[in-house]
Amino acid sequence: MRHGKYPLIVAFLVPPLLLYGVFVLSPYVQAFQISTTDWGGYTADANYVGFDNFTRLFRDDYVWNAIQNNAILLAVVPLVTIALGLFFATMLNMGGRGGKAGVTGVRGTAAYRLVYFFPQVLSVVIIAVVWREVYHPNNGLLNGLLKPLGIDGPTWLGDPRYAFWCVLAVMVWSNVGFYVVLFGAAMQAIPRDIYEAVLLDGASRFVTLVRITIPLLWDTVQVAWIYLAIAALDGFILVQLMTDGGPNHSSDVIGLRMYNTAFASDTRFGYASAIGVVMFFLTLSVAVLALRASKRDRIEYS
Amino acid sequence: MATVTYSKATRIYAGTERPAVDHLDLEIGDGEFLVLVGPSGCGKSTSLRMLAGLEDVDEGSIYIDSRDVTHLPPKARDIAMVFQNYALYPHMTVYENMAFALKLRKTPKSEIDRRVKEAAALLQLEEYLGRKPKALSGGQRQRVAMGRAIVREPQVFLMDEPLSNLDAKLRVQTRTQIATLQAKLGITTVYVTHDQVEAMTMGHRVAVLLDGVLQQVDTPRELYDKPGNVFVAGFIGSPAMNIKTVPLTEQGAVFAEMIVPLGREQVAAAQANGGDGKITVGFRPEDCDLVGATEGGLPVVVELVEDLGSDANVYGHAALDGGSERFVVRTDRRTMPNMGDTVFVKPRTDHYHAFHAATGQRL
Repeated sequence: MRHGKYPLIVAFLVPPLLLYGVFVLSPYVQAFQISTTDWGGYTADANYVGFDNFTRLFRDDYVWNAIQNNAILLAVVPLVTIALGLFFATMLNMGGRGGKAGVTGVRGTAAYRLVYFFPQVLSVVIIAVVWREVYHPNNGLLNGLLKPLGIDGPTWLGDPRYAFWCVLAVMVWSNVGFYVVLFGAAMQAIPRDIYEAVLLDGASRFVTLVRITIPLLWDTVQVAWIYLAIAALDGFILVQLMTDGGPNHSSDVIGLRMYNTAFASDTRFGYASAIGVVMFFLTLSVAVLALRASKRDRIEYS
Repeated sequence: MATVTYSKATRIYAGTERPAVDHLDLEIGDGEFLVLVGPSGCGKSTSLRMLAGLEDVDEGSIYIDSRDVTHLPPKARDIAMVFQNYALYPHMTVYENMAFALKLRKTPKSEIDRRVKEAAALLQLEEYLGRKPKALSGGQRQRVAMGRAIVREPQVFLMDEPLSNLDAKLRVQTRTQIATLQAKLGITTVYVTHDQVEAMTMGHRVAVLLDGVLQQVDTPRELYDKPGNVFVAGFIGSPAMNIKTVPLTEQGAVFAEMIVPLGREQVAAAQANGGDGKITVGFRPEDCDLVGATEGGLPVVVELVEDLGSDANVYGHAALDGGSERFVVRTDRRTMPNMGDTVFVKPRTDHYHAFHAATGQRL
């Protein structure tokens, strides 16, 4: 097998690397180049404008508005999703205390686990469409539920005060299930006798979660944090489909800003690429910061 | 300081017919060191975990002193447990591991500090207080697990095979340490092991379990000298007792040419209850002599001799009842036979144990 080993390896490696290079890496590089031009996208003439796009970007209130929304997503979505994920996973794996001895989940754990995972098997597009209907002011499920209670529900996605938060809620909803399963799997890997020792030491469920489970799951939480942070900096699909950034840009995000700059009324590809480049560096620095900030000792079980 | 009482305590796992622990009746005295011993799957760990509150009690009840703890949560039972894999909190230092339970009880800081330091001194852990479990050796982790139990000053200590993850030498050392510690603290202790040497050397009393049923509870001495049934006889002692079921006559048990004399009552009892003309007789390897060819011993062909230095274990087969049966004899080193020799084995008078052939009960 020694003979002719390298041709084989090369034969397997080259096609994927080539595809990756052409369709992933080269657009990245091109974006940097395009961001220094005033290219309109549909014509061949593009003039080099240096850093003009970037200086304009820093004074563009629409961009800042979008970045601000992304910042809120970044602050809220990972925190809420991870908190809910940990809470549900704890209840499913060791929350049961109802008369049974030992460490067990609450009753009906298998059913809950299935239901929590539902959003994960749905396409994001379907989630967006379904929730748009739920939020519908006249015949939506949400206002339909509020009506019997005598509450005249707002227009939700049509109201600049609520639209962004409605999208944020859906973002959390669609992610929680996956993290319940992820944290649940990580909890299964924690030796059971540690939780038995906790029971004997007399810790409440809350103390167990904070003092034992979270420290032991820290690696997994860290990974979740980074994924969610990256997802929070995106949010394009949900926002585009549910509100298209509206009303009055109240739910705009940077990804959508870039998209609309490039493909909407005016096709300013050069400027859109500059937004893309900024977004790239933002995401990168958030990921690096999240990794750095959450670094701790690795846990080893004896 | 407390007594522990199991009263017909039963545990049946869902989906199984046979109870894992079957109507266990056991009383453990104040300050006593009781060892639960038996082969794997005999229900010894389950019994311990029932007392800890980590397993449900399906029938019967468990008392600590006169308090019924059957359905109390673990933390309300005032017990501390040492787990087989120690179950130390990997993200906490040794100090924090030991202090955790006390912190939860809102014990004052100075008191926690005093108790942890005391326990650490007792277990020679002072220099490791700032370390995390992964930076400790197996023996040190074991001591931390002990320390975590000690600082609680509980009414009862529970230990679930705490030595099984240590190497042989350390196990012997730690065995004596635990026994000494228990004697010093005087805290009622229930200790689970599958190792009969641990059981015999550590326990004030030993409870032998098989298939969820308590076979016998007694002091190690009594257990060894007067095993209550065939299982206990075979389980306690190493090498195991020679136990054979042989034909019974008025004179005694017939081992081919050799007759082991039995009392009249024993013979009568052996014949009752479906004894079917047979009796089970056991004698320990150390309770027999190698005699001359004419002195009426059982001829055994030697297959293996284990020289232990001080003495030797002789393994061999003897023709018995048309079959070939295995025997073990412990002998003086000076009279050690060679492989292939035929030796004549004679159990010492009054050092054999007679059991009913069908029920296995001691006669």
